[in-house]
Amino acid sequence: MLARLALAAAALIAAASTAQAQPAGEITVMAYAGIFEDKYKAAVIQPFTQKFPQVKVNYFTSGNSAQMLGTLRAQRSSPQIDVAILDASVSNVGNKEGVFARLDPAKVPSLKELHALAMVPDGFGPAVTFDHWVLVYDTGKVKPAPTALADLWDSRFKGQIGLSAMPNIQGIAATVLTSKIAGEDFKVTIDGAMKRLKELGPSVQTFDPQPDGYTMILGNTLTVASGWNARAQLYHDESKGRLGVVFPKEGSVFQINTINLVAGSKNPEAATAFIEHALGRDAQKRFTESMFYAPVNAKADIAPAAIARTAASPENMAKMIPLDWGWVTTIRDAWNNRWRREVIAGR
Amino acid sequence: MADDRRRRPALAAGLSLPAAAAIGLGFLLPVLWLARMSFNPSDPDGALREGWTLHHYAELLTDSFYGELALGSLQMSAVSTLGALLVGYPIALFLFRLESRWKTLLVLLAICPLLVSGVVRAYGWIVILGDAGWINSMLRGAGLIDRPIRLVNNHIGVAIGLTESLLPYMTLSLLAGLGRLDRGLEEAARTLGASPLRTFLRVTLPLSLPAVVLGCTICFMLAISAFVTPRLLGGGRVFLLATEIYEQALLTLNWPLAAALAVAILAMFTLVLVASGRLQRRVAE
Repeated sequence: MLARLALAAAALIAAASTAQAQPAGEITVMAYAGIFEDKYKAAVIQPFTQKFPQVKVNYFTSGNSAQMLGTLRAQRSSPQIDVAILDASVSNVGNKEGVFARLDPAKVPSLKELHALAMVPDGFGPAVTFDHWVLVYDTGKVKPAPTALADLWDSRFKGQIGLSAMPNIQGIAATVLTSKIAGEDFKVTIDGAMKRLKELGPSVQTFDPQPDGYTMILGNTLTVASGWNARAQLYHDESKGRLGVVFPKEGSVFQINTINLVAGSKNPEAATAFIEHALGRDAQKRFTESMFYAPVNAKADIAPAAIARTAASPENMAKMIPLDWGWVTTIRDAWNNRWRREVIAGR
Repeated sequence: MADDRRRRPALAAGLSLPAAAAIGLGFLLPVLWLARMSFNPSDPDGALREGWTLHHYAELLTDSFYGELALGSLQMSAVSTLGALLVGYPIALFLFRLESRWKTLLVLLAICPLLVSGVVRAYGWIVILGDAGWINSMLRGAGLIDRPIRLVNNHIGVAIGLTESLLPYMTLSLLAGLGRLDRGLEEAARTLGASPLRTFLRVTLPLSLPAVVLGCTICFMLAISAFVTPRLLGGGRVFLLATEIYEQALLTLNWPLAAALAVAILAMFTLVLVASGRLQRRVAE
């Protein structure tokens, strides 16, 4: 009798746990618009809804990362968004403000497979994509091709450079790399970098390429610009190779997007299941192969051709300069002021 | 009659209620929320906290960058308003005097840029003013220059773009104001022997001054709050109050500082309105 009761109880628990393992309902994922949206829907969201047909996934866009945080702040009392993918320096603020919730490691087993660099302290949402700062150029007009950031000081680029300045985070990466050219430690001083960037100032056509450097090169306004690898690779393919992408000799800096569970989500089960799916080997492989963000899952088995075009290739990885985006927020204002006064205004 | 008078205030209040509610909910409440936001403390990383501090206003007053910003915004607005006035005045005068069946069409043409979004017009200017644009190509073709002159991605580009974007507003306000100009007065001046220039300076211009003040006030307000044109044509080199609010709110996440800047612009608006009201009265006298 007792044994039978135990068996029944075990069956009940098992039934309950399988019911729990099958998320259902509706979730809203907020992330970037444009190419990101198209590729992410195809590579990550569609396979997820095939796996969990009871879950409906809405995709919501709200401008850049800061605008996304603004949307989440406004919805604090009644969040309409369950999962948000945004820049690490902004999600860090969201973690502090209590906009995002901690993840339950038991429900996100893929966390164990992530690169050390992908982990965010205190159990908040980890990195979901790695991108890196690159130079892009017009292969039809620029010969020989630039190989290093230092090449921009060459007079042949005068007036044809698009360099995204601070407060755009590309400006932070440019500062770190220029410090390397100047032979200084950016954590101690950026005097050398500022001096050099000030010299470059007059050669720069725009410090704020609109809509972006890739488009301006393909529209014949610039011949070289700064950019992010993933989008640059897509424009490279779209322009049939006219847009060249250079991993600079000096190295590069990671841009990190994190995936976050919104605090107060009305469907945390399905939202967590989605995060687990997005961090899993399969989704990481698909998204890297379609958009060239380096994978965060170390166990993802990615085609060598795609890996070679990301920062995850061994030779690129060795050249990456470590940058703590949490630390960056403490010096951002000071660097921004120096860019404005010294580099852009040339004082 | 007496009964009527007594009922009127209630009626007026009743009738203005929908508008008052719309303004209260759609404008006053957000402005109050913004003012409250400007007193919140913020962490260097942009994290927002509830509280009370005058820190952001102190920063606006003590950091010389914001002084330059305000001065730069005032200068840019003044230059583009003046530009719009210089270009718009002859157009408005011509359209006002025109007696032709094409008049309506020409007035429409003068204001039709308003039908095109500011973003599209800014991109149009990039094409015209860019290093490989029409103007530089023409100058180069004529052998006048060998290196392109930078006409965009700096203050010049923003001033040109803003002037153009203000032009329809200026033309419209001038046209409305010129309606009071009595052609008989000009004719009288001419018959009495005044030269065309003298007629213009002594009769036409003084009579059109109220319209000029009105047009300049509207354009100045639009210019100082303009954001799209400076952002697209400034190349990251032109720092104005409106672009700074965008950067603080949407790039560095410092909402309280952005709110304090917005309050500062609002204060400037009030000053300009008061000044323009006084000027309007003096001109009318």
